[in-house]
Amino acid sequence: MTIAIEIRGVRKAYGDFVAVDDLSLVVPRGSVFGLLGPNGAGKTTTLRMLMDILAPDAGEVHIDGRPRGREDLARIGYLPEERGLYPKMTVTDQLVFLGELHGMTRRDAVERTGPWLERVDLADRAKRRVEELSKGMQQKVQLVGTVLHDPDILVLDEPFSGLDPINQGFFKELLAEYRRQGRTIVLSTHILEHAEKLCERICLVARGRVVLEGELAELKRRLGGNTYRLRAPGALEGLAEVPGVAEALVGDGSARLVLADDARPAEVLRRLAERFEVEEFRSDEPDLETLFVQAVGHG
Amino acid sequence: MASRRVLTVARREYLARIRTKAFWITTVALPLFLAAMLVVPALLATQARSTLRVVAVDATGRLGAELAALSDVPPSDGPVEGEGAAIAAFSVTVEEPTGEPEAQRAALDRRILSGAVDAWIWIDEEAIESGRLPYHGESVSNFLTQGRLERELSRLVHDDRLRRAGLDPAEIGELTRGVALVTVRVSSEGSRAEGAEAGIFLSYGLFFLLYIVLLIYGQQVMTGVLEEKTNRIVEVIAATTTPTDLMAGKLAGVCGVALTQLAIWMGTVALLTAPGVLASVALVPPQISIPRVPAGVYVHFFAFFLLGFVLYATFYAAIGAAFNNVQEAQQFASLAAFVLVAPILFFWTVVNDPDSTLSVVMSLVPPFTPLLMLLRITIKTPPAWQIALGYAATALFAWLMIRIAGRIYRVGILMVGKKPTLPELWRWVRYG
Repeated sequence: MTIAIEIRGVRKAYGDFVAVDDLSLVVPRGSVFGLLGPNGAGKTTTLRMLMDILAPDAGEVHIDGRPRGREDLARIGYLPEERGLYPKMTVTDQLVFLGELHGMTRRDAVERTGPWLERVDLADRAKRRVEELSKGMQQKVQLVGTVLHDPDILVLDEPFSGLDPINQGFFKELLAEYRRQGRTIVLSTHILEHAEKLCERICLVARGRVVLEGELAELKRRLGGNTYRLRAPGALEGLAEVPGVAEALVGDGSARLVLADDARPAEVLRRLAERFEVEEFRSDEPDLETLFVQAVGHG
Repeated sequence: MASRRVLTVARREYLARIRTKAFWITTVALPLFLAAMLVVPALLATQARSTLRVVAVDATGRLGAELAALSDVPPSDGPVEGEGAAIAAFSVTVEEPTGEPEAQRAALDRRILSGAVDAWIWIDEEAIESGRLPYHGESVSNFLTQGRLERELSRLVHDDRLRRAGLDPAEIGELTRGVALVTVRVSSEGSRAEGAEAGIFLSYGLFFLLYIVLLIYGQQVMTGVLEEKTNRIVEVIAATTTPTDLMAGKLAGVCGVALTQLAIWMGTVALLTAPGVLASVALVPPQISIPRVPAGVYVHFFAFFLLGFVLYATFYAAIGAAFNNVQEAQQFASLAAFVLVAPILFFWTVVNDPDSTLSVVMSLVPPFTPLLMLLRITIKTPPAWQIALGYAATALFAWLMIRIAGRIYRVGILMVGKKPTLPELWRWVRYG
């Protein structure tokens, strides 16, 4: 695993208020990384420190294994939560301007603007001023502005907030495409369902600190424990005597089983099938929300 | 790379502003307005003017012919240049006294009310003796016209008194003729004849031009920064561009716009004041002399503009970054406008005595230097060390301003929400 982004022990305080405290995280290249947490947890502050918009009081940021430089930032596509465009500029001028700020030549930026506007159905608005466009169209221009320079890392702060459903769809499609191409995506959100669907790795923050970090599937396995749900007709008696089952909680037509640490689920299923008409046997993974509530509650 | 971003930002800023209608309207309208101020009074002077119909009752029996001749004297300027345009011509009807002054005066008043005449005057021995002439009119507030009438009647009565004393008014006039100063401006660039009014005109013009561009473009920087903040553009840009580069680019762009406008204006002035150009257009009467602007003054003008712009525009940029909207920013923006306007209070002090201690000291106070030192240079070249000190002090002050304002800008540009207090702004300066 090569590391695209590494944040080491960053801290940011405003007077007495500590927004981010000793926060570290690692984003592997090619992964979709979710920075999660409730509003005010320090997500935006963390991303701003990642983008060198805020200077951390302590800690450092590495990109591709070396301290982050300004030119690393130009290779990132950053979509802040607080986003906007110059209302009086034309769509093309606006995009070319953003492209140039990301280190593209004028000519390159002009050339790439055309196909992108085609793709988002705004080719006929290229010469219009941004203020003449609908809100949804402006969002498209903003999204194109984020990716025009073909970044290999995307940093998105609450990317779906304020997006209309059509643009949400377009954006998810774009993220899927980026993921297939092996690019790295970091996104923050307070909507856990989004993260659950999109992210491979997550970092849960609360009150400026990391409470949970790792691969989502692994976290679920680890924190959910060896819990399985069994559904079978008839009386579910003697479950606890089945080898490999440490604990059984019997309900109406189904049971929740906690397996022994050394038990192999397939083996347990075989033995269960000998005694019961098993209709369903599945890992009872907690959803992200449960993990989150657990972690924050314990933290 | 950093400097390339500054250029990118500056280019955007420049084009966005130069493409607005407002830019071209002010570019064209201001010189037109100034030209109108210059030309319109002259044009008006040649236009048909109103006529004051006066009945003059001559009780002396000596002055009738001369009073009637006032109708033929064209109005001319009095003490104030250009006032001739506002003065009416006279149409004087001389009438004999009827011997019943009360009744005759009452009848004349009635003629005024009926609109048959505008005014009447009454000249008798007593009036000549006391120097007080009754004037009745429906309007007595046309003081420019009355002033002219007063001058003409004074001359008439004056001559009458001389004649009766056995003296020849023409000879006396010749002997008591006054003198006029023929002004020649001596400067290191060579001496040349220049009317005092023309010199003031140049000083006044350049002084206010500099004042106006500093004020307008300083405020444009402020509203531009506020626009980026309120439209939430700034964070998108901040990801690739440091606040310092963003501010530098913005200042450079707006400065370029101001220079473009100044170049258009100054170029026009240079063209129009080239010998013979205005006269050939025949718009401006030959008696209005327009001074040539010496090349050295142009150099000082642009140098002081650049220093003044950096000084004031960085302050305006910091205000724009610190607050959330124009209303909040207004309080501090007025402070800058106040400092900028202060030199106007010293305008006449400096014009009348550019080397007085007050003039020298005020022209060396950095925020005032661009305007006041330029004014002194246009009037009488100050000692070289004072000019050098003025430049050095202003440059130093501008540098300090960049340091202080730059810090406020860096912190403020990403702050949204509460209006910062003065102690908070000070904290930004210390830790920004």
